[in-house]
Amino acid sequence: MASEGEISLLVVVVDVNPIWWGQHAQSEPEFTLSKCLDAVMVMGNAHMAMTRTNQLAVIAAHCQDSHFLYPSKRLKGNDDTSSSRDGKYELLSVTNNLIAEEIRDIMSKTELTGNSTDTLLAGSLAKALCCILLKTVVFLLAQEIKSRILVIKAADDCALQYMNFMNVIFAAQKQNILIDACVLDSDSGLLQQACDITGGLYLKIPQKVALAQYLLWVFLPDSEQRSLLVLPPPAHVDYRAACFCHRTLIEIGYVCSVCLSIFCNFSPICTTCETAFKIQLPQMVKPKKKKPKLPA
Amino acid sequence: SYVAAMASLSEEVLLVVKKVRQKKQDGTLYLMAERIAWGPEGKDRFTVSHSYSDIRCQKISPDGKAKVQLQLVLHTGESTTFHFANESTSRKDWEAAKELLQQLLPKFKKKANKELEEKNKMLQEDPVLFQLYKDLVVSQVISAEEFWANRLGGINNGESAACENKQEVGISGAFLADIRPQTDGCNGLRYNLTADIIESIFRTYPAVKQKYKENVPHNLTEKEFWTRFFQSHYFHRDRISTGTQDIFSECARQDEKGLKSLVTQGVKNPMVDLLSLEDKTLDEGYGISSALPSTSHASRTVKESSNFAIIKRFNHHSAMVLAAAKQKEQMNSFINIFKLITVYLLRDVPADQASETSSTDGNSRDSDFFQPPLKKVKLQEAIEYEDLQQENRPKTVALNLKKSDRYAHGPVPLQSQQYTTSQDIINSVNYIKHEMSNYKPNLTQVLSSAAASSAIAALSPGGVLMQQVAQQAINQMVPTEIQAELKHLYVAAGELLRHFWTCFPVNTAFLEEKVTKMKSNLERFQITKLRPFQEKIQRQYLSTNLTGHLECMLQAAYSKFHIWQTRRMMRKT
Repeated sequence: MASEGEISLLVVVVDVNPIWWGQHAQSEPEFTLSKCLDAVMVMGNAHMAMTRTNQLAVIAAHCQDSHFLYPSKRLKGNDDTSSSRDGKYELLSVTNNLIAEEIRDIMSKTELTGNSTDTLLAGSLAKALCCILLKTVVFLLAQEIKSRILVIKAADDCALQYMNFMNVIFAAQKQNILIDACVLDSDSGLLQQACDITGGLYLKIPQKVALAQYLLWVFLPDSEQRSLLVLPPPAHVDYRAACFCHRTLIEIGYVCSVCLSIFCNFSPICTTCETAFKIQLPQMVKPKKKKPKLPA
Repeated sequence: SYVAAMASLSEEVLLVVKKVRQKKQDGTLYLMAERIAWGPEGKDRFTVSHSYSDIRCQKISPDGKAKVQLQLVLHTGESTTFHFANESTSRKDWEAAKELLQQLLPKFKKKANKELEEKNKMLQEDPVLFQLYKDLVVSQVISAEEFWANRLGGINNGESAACENKQEVGISGAFLADIRPQTDGCNGLRYNLTADIIESIFRTYPAVKQKYKENVPHNLTEKEFWTRFFQSHYFHRDRISTGTQDIFSECARQDEKGLKSLVTQGVKNPMVDLLSLEDKTLDEGYGISSALPSTSHASRTVKESSNFAIIKRFNHHSAMVLAAAKQKEQMNSFINIFKLITVYLLRDVPADQASETSSTDGNSRDSDFFQPPLKKVKLQEAIEYEDLQQENRPKTVALNLKKSDRYAHGPVPLQSQQYTTSQDIINSVNYIKHEMSNYKPNLTQVLSSAAASSAIAALSPGGVLMQQVAQQAINQMVPTEIQAELKHLYVAAGELLRHFWTCFPVNTAFLEEKVTKMKSNLERFQITKLRPFQEKIQRQYLSTNLTGHLECMLQAAYSKFHIWQTRRMMRKT
């Protein structure tokens, strides 16, 4: 529970990469994008229900662009479907309906351009940071606001987004915004770094069908409450650099002193900046002449 | 050593004073080039000998007393008193001895003190070093010399060069206030004058210095001179010159002259207009009354004129203090002129052979051979900003990156592991589009109880995701004092091992000796420091192996030593 007057903002970034989801839906029919979104909704509802001042935002990271599922532009002037039949807290039903509408809209507009099949995660994170900044400014005069971002990741990392990703991570760190990661498929080095740097939690869940349970147990409590709970320990992060020639992760390598590019093998010319290097060979040690033994 | 045969004196004897008593014994006092010594009457040896570097200061008995005494206080705190007992010449002898000591002591003071001071400072500033010192030297694992061997670096060799470039200490503005007269008890005042204060007075008031030169020691003794100085109205606050035959009344007149010349000299900076500053007070009538305030000398009140006098004295004092500092600057400008002359003479010599003072930068002082008028210089200074000008940096090579997109690539393999055909892509997208077109949240069916319980099991301690939590961090299990002690042990062991390993390769006899000594030091360290620590943690039932690594390092050192020793034996046979 946030202390009195403190606002807690949770931004959930959901990876809705249609290619990945489409492929996996065919192989694992019991866990589909619909189920995933349901789980996210449950968690969002729980977050908003905990305290009246809690805020929520949901962003869908697509391979074409990123969209705000909630709060969305449809917020205004939509009364007909908002009243739910089960007596739910109105804010929650409004939220859910909005999210559902938006995602339907987005997925129907999916077009295959063939340019990229990777999720635009860095862009979504940047949008999340902007949303947080906006809310922070709005609430600045009133109360303190604590924000965190939860990334639900499906597809693999995209190497081309590396720079943007790192910029976003450092910006979040400067603003004291936690980045949590819930990974569905393969481990993501970038998200591991993000969680390590900002102080968030990284978890690769063993069972996708139990996503809701993991979200509620691990990612729903905020950072203050986490210190009181026993949660999965932080993962060991691989901070090794990748060499520029083969992109293999190396522990010891050669660095060009002019352009700082990393190589796994010594080469007399740096391929990035074309500087020529001379390396000193270790000096040859002359073997000592042994004195011949004198006969006794 | 306290006992030295007089015949084997190799030092130059500067002064001999007979009939000097020490500890109620008659004897002779000898002042030599590097030490002061005293031997009892009729005996051949010195019972008291102190080198000047050991002496912290000398104390003299006040003038009025019958006993003429001189006390030497050492750095260690001990003191020795000498009583000059010769009836006729005691005063003179005493003066001579005192003067000589005054000259000699400062020379020796600096050397010894510096080293000690440096050591103390190092120990105070670095608590880790201090702890190391305590661990190793105080407990006698290694000797103090070995400890300081590599650390003092430069104190004994060539540090004096740095001293020469030190900044000159200026005169404190409050030096007269530091004299602080004390009441004598019987309506008199005592002023304590030190050499520093005397020098400050001479530098600030050259008129006084001149008077001193003229009168001491022919007409007045030093003491008399200073007494008169403090008594004179010159020194007195209000300084109303009553025209007495004070030797200092002339000084007051000289000061006035000096001040007047300073005023006529004016300020060289054309940007500063001192004359426009004026004390404007709203006189009677709030400034609108027609009568102008009179500035004639006679109409001033007594208070006004004494204020005026004080302000004049303040200004004069400040001007003298600043002028004293300027003397050094004038020296520098003389040096600059010499440099300029050499530049001019070498003008035909090619640039790379010319002296380094010829610079191409138009802003340096050296190139102002043809001094432009001061106003121009000042104006230039005011309108030009150094960092906005064109920079004359040395030519650099531009960075030429051929493949700069390499930096943007993250630590991710170039090709994705999965290979999807375009048909796969199309199929997947269509599938998902179809699925989501009918999407309706079904929040009551999100989770089955079976899935939930298995997830909870995985998240509970002992579960699949919680394996590492069982291993508690070692720093939570070991108390902080043990941790601190372990750190100290590591620092100390590291220091000893560093000494040990730097001995290799063992080329000289000195290194051989050192390596053997270090090995025994390591063993001693292990016995005196490491073993008790191990026993202590055993007693506290700490099962973790805290000292394993330390033992490993020591073992490596021992085995290296053993190998070296066997090789050495084999070479000898």
